[in-house]
Amino acid sequence: MDGPSDRSSVAGVRGTPQVITNGEAGAAHPGRMRRIALLGNPNTGKTTLFNRLTGLRHKTSNFPGTTLEARLGRVDLATARPTRALGGSDACCGRDGEDGDGLESAPVGETELIDLPGVYSLELDQLEARVCRDVLVGVAAPRGDVVGVPDAACVVLDGTNLGRNLMMAGEVLRRRLPTVVAVNMIDLAHRRGFAISAEVLSERLGCEVVLISARTGEGLGELRRALGRARVSSRTPPGDDAGLRAWAEEVFATAASRPEGSGAEEITDRLDRAFTHPLLGVVLFAVVMTGLFWGLFAIAAYPMAWIEWVFTWLGSGVRAVVPEGPVQELLADGVVGGIGATVVFLPQICLLFLLISLLEDTGYLARAAFVMDRVLRPFGLPGHAFVPLLSSHACALPGIMACRAIPDRRQRLATILVAPFMTCSARLPVYVLLTSILFPKQPLLAALAFVGCYALGIVAGVLTALLARRTILRGKSRPMALELPTYKAPSLRTALVTTVDRGMVFLKNAGTNILMICIVLWWLSSYPKVGPPQEADALRGQVAAMKEGLTPLNAPIHWVPRTPGESRNARNEASAARQELELKWDEVSRVEAEIQRLETSQAARESFAGRIGRAIQPVFEPLGYDWQLTIGVVTSFAAREVFVSTMNVVLAGQDDPENETIRQGVMSATRDDGVTPVFTSATSWSLLVYYVLAMQCLPTLAVTAREAGGKRWALLQLGWMSGVAYVAALIVYQIAR
Amino acid sequence: MTEAPGLTTQHQATTRLTQLKRGQRGIVVEASLDASDAALLRAMGLCAAAKVRLCRAGEPCIVAVDCGCGGQCRIGLARPLAERIMVRVDN
Repeated sequence: MDGPSDRSSVAGVRGTPQVITNGEAGAAHPGRMRRIALLGNPNTGKTTLFNRLTGLRHKTSNFPGTTLEARLGRVDLATARPTRALGGSDACCGRDGEDGDGLESAPVGETELIDLPGVYSLELDQLEARVCRDVLVGVAAPRGDVVGVPDAACVVLDGTNLGRNLMMAGEVLRRRLPTVVAVNMIDLAHRRGFAISAEVLSERLGCEVVLISARTGEGLGELRRALGRARVSSRTPPGDDAGLRAWAEEVFATAASRPEGSGAEEITDRLDRAFTHPLLGVVLFAVVMTGLFWGLFAIAAYPMAWIEWVFTWLGSGVRAVVPEGPVQELLADGVVGGIGATVVFLPQICLLFLLISLLEDTGYLARAAFVMDRVLRPFGLPGHAFVPLLSSHACALPGIMACRAIPDRRQRLATILVAPFMTCSARLPVYVLLTSILFPKQPLLAALAFVGCYALGIVAGVLTALLARRTILRGKSRPMALELPTYKAPSLRTALVTTVDRGMVFLKNAGTNILMICIVLWWLSSYPKVGPPQEADALRGQVAAMKEGLTPLNAPIHWVPRTPGESRNARNEASAARQELELKWDEVSRVEAEIQRLETSQAARESFAGRIGRAIQPVFEPLGYDWQLTIGVVTSFAAREVFVSTMNVVLAGQDDPENETIRQGVMSATRDDGVTPVFTSATSWSLLVYYVLAMQCLPTLAVTAREAGGKRWALLQLGWMSGVAYVAALIVYQIAR
Repeated sequence: MTEAPGLTTQHQATTRLTQLKRGQRGIVVEASLDASDAALLRAMGLCAAAKVRLCRAGEPCIVAVDCGCGGQCRIGLARPLAERIMVRVDN
C-alpha cells in the first residue's frame, strides 16, 4: 500500500475509459452550458468546495416543489493549467501551481456546478435523496434552470472517513455518468495518519481521483482539470447494499491504510462530553449564544446607523432634486423610506449568518443542536430549531432564513411558522410605550412586564408548534440521528461566501416584494390629500392676529438710560418686556403645534388607511380600541414599530419619540368624547398582548412564503397569529376593564 | 416496527446499545427499527457487524462508529433509536 502522499495528485484510469458524448463540453445539451453535479455525504466539505470553485459566481434558488436549497454556480474549467502526463494518456499528476509539459487538458469553458443536498445514500427514502436521484436522471433541476442529465458528477468524499464515503461513490459510478472523485480534507486525513493512494483508488474506481483540501485550496487546480475531462467509469460496483459495503471495504483496504489509534479521538471525546453535558453543555451553549448575540447587537448597531444615515441622506437628496408633489413623496417616503426601513436589518442578517457559519464549521453547532434537542422535542421541534428561534428575538427574517439548517421538512415548517412569535427588536418601541403607560415611574414592574412579553411569545410559539405538529404537520419526525462532524478550525472564506449569499437573497426580496408592499402602504397612509380642518383654519386666523405687531424674538430691545440712576430700572423694564414677549411667542408656538396636530390627525383620519381603520373599528371595539388606536393597528400592519409613530402623529401631531411633551400628549390623549383616555389600563394591557402575538410584519410574511415554499404558509401564519392575538387581547381587555 | 434488513446478524449474548457503559465497545448485532430509520443508520455506517464505542451515555447518546474499513464517525442517537439497537459487548 502506498504511504501518505505529501502532494495532491491526480491519477488517470489505467483501463480503457469509455468516453460518451455527454462527457464532452456542451455536446449533449445544445442550448445549455455544460453541467456538473456536486454530491456527497453530509459534512464532507462539499459546500466549501463549491464556494472555492465558484466564488461569488453563483445563485441560490430551490428545487421546484421543495424547500430544499439549490445552489447553481459557474466554474471556468478553461483556466485549468496544463499538467504533466503520468503513465498513460489520461493519467497525470502535479501539485497546484506546477506547470508541467504534458499539455493535455483541453479547455472546456464555463461549466455549471450544481451543489446537491448532502445525503448518506442516493437510495434513501428522503426528500434530499430523491432530489439527488431526480437531478442525476435529468428530471429535476434548480428552479429556473433547464432540466437535463448532468454532463458529469463530482463525488466529494471525506478523507478521514473514506470507508463509508466510498459507498456513495459506488452508487454514483453505477449510474454511468462521467465521474470524478474528490477526496476532501486530505490535509486532516494525513495529520490523522491516514494514507490514501490516489493512483490505486483511481484504478479501483475506474475514474479520476483527486486528493484535495477545499479549505486550503490544495489540489483544486487538478480537480478543475479532471472535471474538464471526466469519463464514465470502467468499473461497475455491486448494486446491493451488502455487496456495495464489501466492495467499499475492499477498495479501501487496497487503496488506503488507517492509523492504529490517535490522540485526536480522546480530545474529541472530552470536548463532546463537555459540550453535550446536561448541565455544563447548556451553560456553555448559553455562554456561546450570549456572545454571539452580544456581538450581533453591539457590532451591527454601527452599520445599521450608517445605513439609516445613507437612506436619510438619499431621502433629502430626492426632496432637493425632485419638484414637490406626489412623485417626490412617492420616491422619498415610499421608495427610499420603505427600502431603508427594511435594508437597515441587513447588517444583523449578515453578521448572524457569518457567526453561525463559523460556529457550524467548527463542528460545535451540531453538538448544540444535540443539547437542545431534549428541550424542544416534546413540542415537536428539533434541536436544530433553537438557533433560528433565538435569532428571531433579534429579527424574524434571519431566524426564518436560518431554518434551512433543519433537515426534517415538517419540523422546518413548524419552526418557520412559530418564529415570528419570538419578541423581535421591532416590538420594543411598542413595549416601551405601553409599559411606560402601565407603570409610570415603576421601572421594576415595567421590566417584569417586558420579561412577561418575551415569555408569552415563547410560550405561544412552542404551543403553536405542538399544535401544528399534531394537526397540519402531523407525522413521524425522524428521531435524532445526527452525525457529529470533526472539530476543526472554521473557514472564514466559506463563512463570508455564505454571508454574501444570504445577504443577496434578503436584498433581492427587499428590492421586489417588500418594496412593492412599502409603496402600497405608503400610498394608503398618505392619500387622499385633504384640506385642513375648519378648526385649524380658525386657529390660523388666531395665530395671524397674535403675530400682528409682535416684535420678533431675535430683535434687540434698546434701552438708553437717561441718567446713571435710571440704569438699573431701565434694565429691569427691558427684561420684563423680554419675558412678556417670550410668553407671547410661546403661545404662538403652542397654537401652531395644535394646528399641526389637527392637520396631521385629519390627514391620518381621512387617508385610505384611516378610513379602513374607522371602517373596521367595530371589529376592535371588543378589545377596547377606539378609531385612533385602530388606525395605529392598521398602519402598523406592515411593521409593528410604526404603531408608535402613528400614535405620535395622530394623538400628538408630531413624530419625535425623544420629545417628552409628545409622549405626554400621547399618554394623556382622549377619545372623541374628550374625557375617556385613549390609553386606559385595560386597553394598554390588551394592546401589549396583541403586539406580542400579532403578525404585524409584512417582510416576515414575504420571507415565510419564500422559505416555506408557498404563499399559503404565509397566509396561515398571518391568520393564526392574528387570530391568537385577537382572542388573547379580547380576553385580557374583558378581564382588565 | 419491522426488523431492519441488513442490521441483523446471528444472535448471541447481546445487550442494548443504551446499556453499554461509557467507553465500552460493542459490535452491532441487530436492530428493530422502521425500514427508513434502519436504512439511514446503515448509510451512516451503523450497520450489522459495525464496531461501536459509546462516547456518551444518556439521552441522546453518542456512539463512535467504525465500519472496519477506516470509517470513523460519531453519531448522536435519540433514545428511541439507540434502545432498539442490540450489540454484543466487544472486550
